[in-house]
Amino acid sequence: MTEVVLRADELAKTFHLGFFRKRVEAVKHASFDVRRGEVFGYLGPNGSGKTTTLKMLMGLVFPTRGRAEVLGKPVPNREAKRRLGYLPESPYFYEYLSPEEFLDLVGALCDVPRAERRLRAARLITRVGLDHARGRPLRKFSKGMLQRIGIAQALMGDPELVVLDEPMTGLDPIGRKEIRDLMLELKREGRTVLYSTHILPDVEMTCDRVAMIFAGRIRNVGPLSELLTARLLSTEVCLRHDVGQIPSLPEGAKIRQTPDGMLADLPEGADVDAFLRAALTSKSSIISVTPRRESLEDLFVREAGKVGEVGSTSTPDKGAA
Amino acid sequence: MNRIRAIAWNTFREAVRNKILYSLLFFAVLIILSAMAIGNLTLHEEVRTIRDVGLFGIDIFSVIIAIFVGVNLLYKELDLKTVYTILPKPLWRWEFVLGKWLGMLLTLAVQMVVMGAVLAAVLASEGAHFDMPTVKAVWLLFVNVMVVTSIAVFFSAFSSPFLSGFFALGFFVVGRSVPDIRAIGEKAGAGAKAVLDLFCNLMPNLHLFYPSGAIVGAEDLSVHRQFVGSDYILSATAYGIGYSIVVLVLAMLIFRKRDFV
Repeated sequence: MTEVVLRADELAKTFHLGFFRKRVEAVKHASFDVRRGEVFGYLGPNGSGKTTTLKMLMGLVFPTRGRAEVLGKPVPNREAKRRLGYLPESPYFYEYLSPEEFLDLVGALCDVPRAERRLRAARLITRVGLDHARGRPLRKFSKGMLQRIGIAQALMGDPELVVLDEPMTGLDPIGRKEIRDLMLELKREGRTVLYSTHILPDVEMTCDRVAMIFAGRIRNVGPLSELLTARLLSTEVCLRHDVGQIPSLPEGAKIRQTPDGMLADLPEGADVDAFLRAALTSKSSIISVTPRRESLEDLFVREAGKVGEVGSTSTPDKGAA
Repeated sequence: MNRIRAIAWNTFREAVRNKILYSLLFFAVLIILSAMAIGNLTLHEEVRTIRDVGLFGIDIFSVIIAIFVGVNLLYKELDLKTVYTILPKPLWRWEFVLGKWLGMLLTLAVQMVVMGAVLAAVLASEGAHFDMPTVKAVWLLFVNVMVVTSIAVFFSAFSSPFLSGFFALGFFVVGRSVPDIRAIGEKAGAGAKAVLDLFCNLMPNLHLFYPSGAIVGAEDLSVHRQFVGSDYILSATAYGIGYSIVVLVLAMLIFRKRDFV
């Protein structure tokens, strides 16, 4: 069995906010594990408890209940921290430092010898594409550049496990692709990557396994192939609207106009063959036939619906790179 | 030790790159230089005035800098969220607090050396020396800001800069007035005296670090004549370090339990 490098066991966090100490359950019984060498996605809408969970795993927030282990040690543990790299959400760094100075500081905190620190910092600055910004104070960095230096600092201790909180936030499509490529590169190097996000296309492209959290509660954990049902949800048939006649639709089917023609959405169980035969008989021109299976987005929206998060502002980001 | 040194050095570097500190240092230097003009207004008391006004400038500005920077020391890390990047590194939280405090002390030491050098130059212009009593007085002022910094860091571990500054300044004012408060206690009833004694024992006795013009051991002390001996310096330094350690440990305990949301 693959070694578990991170384990959250019934983690829960309750905050007491404001003058009247209002109880807010940010995370309720989060249990999942991350295995060596995989890219693990921690998905959830905004405000679902992703960052709080990661902060508990990093020892920044103390859990109200449950326990966490990182690299076989209970959190917080300095030995485990030495083998771990972390990028916080929307990171802020010492803005008066240059990238070299900042990475040198991080290297010193990770007990990297001085000579090695210089070499490693130079290599990482090149790796995250910030060669042009050497010597420039971090206050003059754009959001994307800060995210890159954030990833460089997470790698400064040469970690086995890299934890990234919303690493794609604020990045343009090219920046997001670079971060995705970097995560896959880290996996090829044998490192384990855990990252939180609500950008679903990125997850489909990078993750071996995922956990989904909604309103502080974990709903699904596992490989995407197991979580997504293989059954056919519907079949989309696109027909030219200016040729022939549109055949009558089976029960439950919907039709709408698209720039390409008329799109008939035939529900699960509809006789698609009969519909296509009827279309050909009525001299319709068929542009495409697309079977639609469940996507990560469908699963996400379905699970969000169960906890009443659909329609709120906490919806996933569907933007693809 | 490397990690504490790295945090301390970074704190010092932050202060050195902070323009506001240069403004404060500029005003401190201005006050010390103004001692020359004030000295010229006196009759044959130029050196005495320069030394008094110079030490006053070093005292007041080092305390202002200690409170101004000290109250922001931990709060700023939380407010700017830099702590989220630093604390997940293989670093204990107490090492972080200690590193910040040491960096602050280094900053204050450098600033006091600069102010002391200006005072020495002004004294030299009047043909006087930066003599041993003045060295001792500056050292005591340094121990004084060490205690004030610890208090500022303590409040900074759990409250806003405004409140931290307010409390730290309050501690400074009360700490300087400890002998006066004790004197009030002597004249009060037994109950009030006990309460005031307890209060004075809890407050830092910052008057220990400003002995010029006071009577200690039946001797009238002055930085211009008979000043404190090495024994006094050692015991006052030990008291200052001891008080700072207690306050810093409390700050570390509070910081250790904090959730960084």
